[in-house]
Amino acid sequence: MRLTFDVNGVGQQADDVWPGESLLYVLRERMGLPGTKNACEQGECGSCSVYLDGTLVCACLVAAPQAQGRAVRTVEGLATDSAGGLDHIQQAFVETGAVQCGFCTPGLIMATDDLLANTPTPSDAEIREALAGNLCRCTGYEKILDAVRLAASRRTEVTP
Amino acid sequence: MPLPAFTLHRPRSAADAIALLDEDCLAYSGGTELLMAMRMGLIRPTALVDLKRIDELNTITLGADRLLIGAGASHDRVAGDALVAEHAALLATAERLVGNARVRAQGSIGGNICFAEPRSDVATVLVALDATVLLQSASSRRSVPATEFFLGPYWTAREPGELLTAISIPLPAPAGVYLKFQTVERPTVAVAAVALPEGGYRIVVGAVGDLPVSADYAQLTAVDAADLAARVEPVSDLTGSERYKRHVTEVFVRRAVAALAGGR
Repeated sequence: MRLTFDVNGVGQQADDVWPGESLLYVLRERMGLPGTKNACEQGECGSCSVYLDGTLVCACLVAAPQAQGRAVRTVEGLATDSAGGLDHIQQAFVETGAVQCGFCTPGLIMATDDLLANTPTPSDAEIREALAGNLCRCTGYEKILDAVRLAASRRTEVTP
Repeated sequence: MPLPAFTLHRPRSAADAIALLDEDCLAYSGGTELLMAMRMGLIRPTALVDLKRIDELNTITLGADRLLIGAGASHDRVAGDALVAEHAALLATAERLVGNARVRAQGSIGGNICFAEPRSDVATVLVALDATVLLQSASSRRSVPATEFFLGPYWTAREPGELLTAISIPLPAPAGVYLKFQTVERPTVAVAAVALPEGGYRIVVGAVGDLPVSADYAQLTAVDAADLAARVEPVSDLTGSERYKRHVTEVFVRRAVAALAGGR
């Protein structure tokens, strides 16, 4: 089948897609967007978090035909700075050292973006709940929580 | 890893979807359990029926004496719905705690209970609320109490040609508390404690065994946490031994009773 959808604001088309492909596969292998990571393929690790029509989903659990006619936003589409700069959440992860091997980072950044969009000044409990399904096997999460707090404080400054 | 080959149907009405369903043609809603089971080779449907574009499966409506929740409603949708908050707040509480943010956005309440994972948050609460499920096939329509719908792990009373169209909660629904102990993606022990509208109390212990265990009491002081902990049949796994889970069950039943007595 032919898949026509919007990826990070740009209309895209993929041919010979078969129903058994996941959205994750299409993004990584057909669209050349490797930022979204493939790990558990069971919806438990959060590494493949993307927005589908504005809803945070696991791309591994979305069959490719589900994306027909819809808008996908990946970690590559987070920064709006065309000069290649970082989004403020990405910048906060860098500054707090919340990245070690980096594999979980895109998913955590997408989940943080979703959290702050709905809850601009989250409590620690709200941060923990929002990120509960994003697994990191390196850092022990403390610096990730620091990054979310830093991003939240800056977001509050920017949009009072 | 791509899934094995299948045909995808995309009907626009529940009747059209039901006409397609059989042993090899399965309903596909959020996909949070179905696609995983297919990828692991546990099930091999030749066709899937995409339910997401069927509006009638996504409505939440208030009847004269029941709250009707469309089976396709996502966990987030149920958790945030004003009618659910007003008439069955305990279900909203449990739905807010299901899985993780992505599972709540994608997964449906109907899919959750049809999959019948024994550690379902939803199942425990539906038993506490005396919910029934509506099952529709091409030739019949029936209503099954939650206690008779769940038959065992990954096993329900739904027949292959039937679609679970809605969950029906009798009103007034009891108010209460839902507490769980959880270290991984699903609870180790979940306890719903409610004050029944006709008087008395109900305690439902879920997640720890194959099926929720429910017990009614005339007085809250009559709840025997140790007795309930002895009645559940815990499954030993990585989250704990049978003995440990019985202990946690007893503690959480006591906490739930205390929370209900304290009006929390």
